[in-house]
Amino acid sequence: MTIANSSRSRKAKAQLFILRVLAYLFIGILVAMCLFFFVMLLLMSSKSNSQLQGAFSLKWGGHFLENLHNAWNDASTNIPRGMVNSFIVAMSSALITTYFSALTAYGIHVYEFRFKRAIFTFIMAIMMIPAQVSAVGFIQLAYKFGLTNKLWLLILPGMAAPVVFFYMKQYLESVLPLEMVEAARIDGSSEFRIFNEVVLPIMKPAVAVQMIFSFVSSWNNYFMPSLLLTKPEKRTVPIMIAMLRSADYSKFDMGKVFMFILLAILPVMLVYAVLSKSIIKGVTSGSVKG
Amino acid sequence: MSEVKLVNIKKVYPVIERNKNKKNVNGHRTGNLQITDEGVVAVQEFSLDIADKEFIVLVGPSGCGKSTTLRMVAGLEEITSGELYIDGEYMNDVAPKDRDIAMVFQNYALYPHMTVYQNMAYSLKIQKASREEIDRKVREAAEILDITDYLDRKPKELSGGQRQRVAIGRAIVRHPKALLMDEPLSNLDAKLRNQMRAEIIKLRERINTTFIYVTHDQTEAMTLGDRIVVMKDGYIQQIATPQEVFDHPSNLFVAGFIGTPQMNFFDAELKLRDGDYWVDVEGASVRLADEKQERLKANHVEEQAVTLGVRPEHLLLADKGIAGKVTVSELMGSSRHLHLTVHGKDVIIIVPSTGGSGNYIGSEVALSFDGSNAHVFSKATEKNLEY
Amino acid sequence: MAESRRIKHRKTVSYAKWAYIFIIPFFVSYILFTLVPQLLTIYNSFFENYMNGLQQIGPNFVGLGNYKALLSPGQSGTIDILKYFGNTMALWILGAVPQFLIALMLAVIFTSARLNIKGQGLAKAIIYMPNLIMASAFSMLIFALFSKVGPINKYLVASGIIEQSFDFLTVKVSVRSLIALLNFLMWFGNTTIVLMAGIMGIDQSLFESAEIDGSNSIQVFFDITLPLLMPILSYALITSLIGGIQMFDVPQVLTNGRGTPNLTSTTVIMMLNNFLSGSKNYGRAGAVSVLLFIITGILSTIVYRMLAKQYKD
Repeated sequence: MTIANSSRSRKAKAQLFILRVLAYLFIGILVAMCLFFFVMLLLMSSKSNSQLQGAFSLKWGGHFLENLHNAWNDASTNIPRGMVNSFIVAMSSALITTYFSALTAYGIHVYEFRFKRAIFTFIMAIMMIPAQVSAVGFIQLAYKFGLTNKLWLLILPGMAAPVVFFYMKQYLESVLPLEMVEAARIDGSSEFRIFNEVVLPIMKPAVAVQMIFSFVSSWNNYFMPSLLLTKPEKRTVPIMIAMLRSADYSKFDMGKVFMFILLAILPVMLVYAVLSKSIIKGVTSGSVKG
Repeated sequence: MSEVKLVNIKKVYPVIERNKNKKNVNGHRTGNLQITDEGVVAVQEFSLDIADKEFIVLVGPSGCGKSTTLRMVAGLEEITSGELYIDGEYMNDVAPKDRDIAMVFQNYALYPHMTVYQNMAYSLKIQKASREEIDRKVREAAEILDITDYLDRKPKELSGGQRQRVAIGRAIVRHPKALLMDEPLSNLDAKLRNQMRAEIIKLRERINTTFIYVTHDQTEAMTLGDRIVVMKDGYIQQIATPQEVFDHPSNLFVAGFIGTPQMNFFDAELKLRDGDYWVDVEGASVRLADEKQERLKANHVEEQAVTLGVRPEHLLLADKGIAGKVTVSELMGSSRHLHLTVHGKDVIIIVPSTGGSGNYIGSEVALSFDGSNAHVFSKATEKNLEY
Repeated sequence: MAESRRIKHRKTVSYAKWAYIFIIPFFVSYILFTLVPQLLTIYNSFFENYMNGLQQIGPNFVGLGNYKALLSPGQSGTIDILKYFGNTMALWILGAVPQFLIALMLAVIFTSARLNIKGQGLAKAIIYMPNLIMASAFSMLIFALFSKVGPINKYLVASGIIEQSFDFLTVKVSVRSLIALLNFLMWFGNTTIVLMAGIMGIDQSLFESAEIDGSNSIQVFFDITLPLLMPILSYALITSLIGGIQMFDVPQVLTNGRGTPNLTSTTVIMMLNNFLSGSKNYGRAGAVSVLLFIITGILSTIVYRMLAKQYKD
């Protein structure tokens, strides 16, 4: 009895060990795949154009700072200008999107009013309509009223962000008891002040997560900006990167190209390095609950 | 520090969704509430004069409309009809912040991102009080509630009892005209609840203001209130001092709701013999006390079948009387609760615990009661015939 | 009475007007920047309106002309929009199949108490990272690495795997594979995290009781995990499909907008982009958008139903 048991348990142990090894191997391969492109990018951005034209090598090129200098000072691409433009658009839309989504969610969550249900249903319904569907009319209007190359035209539409609204609404439901609002009313606070001084601080975690997500999606956005921003000094980073693609590669400094790419993704990667935990948490809490 | 007057107050929750109304309206259970064309009537015919510095307790089972009434006084709910006056001022349409009232919520509703000090200072800050005044008032209130040591902590670092104190502190810090409390102790465990109840009695001596207190707990109602308002299904059942409610409950519901264990009820006959009222119950016959005789006579009550109510502590073991059989015996310490079966009905009596083993179970006993402790209720209206 | 003047009397203590004040900015913005453009898009789809060189043609009402033109065969004998829709779907499926299979496996591995995987936090952080990378930059990187003179080709030639440089961007299979690879890399981490949350939302005691009933891990997966995960899995699939239909950045940048080879990697949105950026063909672009709207509308309704159902619970 005991002997049989111990041999069985040894077998089970060995089985589990093999399963574990396989699992780690599986995860390892996928992690390596994700890191591969990033590592390659870093490596390639350290090489001079001649090194890149020459034989393949995994050695550090040693021209990282030189490439950085060249890329940063490249007048035809003007990446610093692009990063400033991108930052203005991304930061402003992140602020506007989160603030107004939270405000809308609060308005619908806290108050009883006639069209409450209808309005909520409506916002849920428009949530999935792709942005491209309004693009034609949007572009046409922008050209008609001479609003191309206006960065604010990329920022203000962020006031109506159904997906962020939905996230905020769910968050409010889990953290804000109505008594808190009533307590503030009795304390003498005005409705607007209650939102700014009581509700918004309570929503800080949700606001932070959504600010990051809206910043990233705005920073990475290519479709609309590429159609609206035609002047070189108004271009955002994704447009500049996409334009590299049509350059003539026989004459182009490839080291610089890799450096441009690195610069384009670096800000988001730095934010991610610091806040990855809360970002990953935010991926699920908004979209689907268990 | 003011009078609060409610005149024929009514609250109707419009039924928003036709198919869902049965279950839930704004989180209130609709139970036996009246549903009219306008919606669910949560409170009606509510009239009450609250004197300056009076401690009024609204008590009743959940869904009776007591919280709704309090919230209408606070201005958190619209008053459907009727009038509300504070210090003679018509208040129906005044925003809560302009009513100069304070409120303590069941779940405390402390602002989680502010320290205890900031929580208490918030209302003063909004009133644009000077920093010195805020500091003085917050510290004064903190002193009264013994929370000075926690002023720099956030609510989540506090225990339930401490949060409760902060919630009260936030309410008293600005010396409101009336202090409204909505089930303030029901989130605490039994021991803390007893302690805080005593604290509230002490608090009342220190801050002189009008209290309106909502609870479902009759012990809190009896111990705290100058007068208590018993409510059921949106209607007031009785407004009286705790003693009066206990001694002369206005109807069957109040009689059963106030007092533990619950009052025992028997089917009985009210008889007139030689101009005196007697109750005949289960073979026993008891003459009502003189005080009750007068009240019944004043109402010209006729002979009739009644529901007789006698509190467990007023039913005595006797040689003869109502016959019953003991089924359960619970030792409560200084007393003993005996559960009896009388004619197939459950009856509870309280007897002194004599120290002996007291093996009562299975024994046949007889019960009697004094005519001053008998309550007679009309079978038809369930009203106390004394009224 | 002097007292009474200080107190502000209002019509009611109802707060409904604040709800409207708070939601107005959302709706003003929505109407101005989304609804009006959307209606204009639909309106446009019934008009001939484009630039021929520097000459403006239209707008002239053509009824369903734009739709007819879109849905009838071009010079090459194929219906372009159907071809592009087919491309889009092919590209989505190529990426989504491995994305969901691997995410499902990873989610099960990560949540398995028996395997008790260490270092999950770091692994999750790394596999989610590509989701945040700028799609156009990522595509540009892939292009630079895989181009005819890029490092990958250099390595393959140097190590003797192939004899001479292979132009990945001229062969249908390799272009589509690269796009699928990119989409896979960008999204499998996200899906893993969503599915993990789903699995962790399942009552743990169900797994335990199944094990006590004698199920092995594979049976537990198919009998317990998968059925209970179905709502979230299908939600994730449909949202992925809606995202897939809007595929643009990756093929656009990787093929420089040309959909090489032979327009086999041109997506519907790339077609829309071509109408908009070149000839400002608002009519044709409007018609493409309306068709797109109808397709995603159907899919969205399904998602909405699922969300609404979940929301009620």
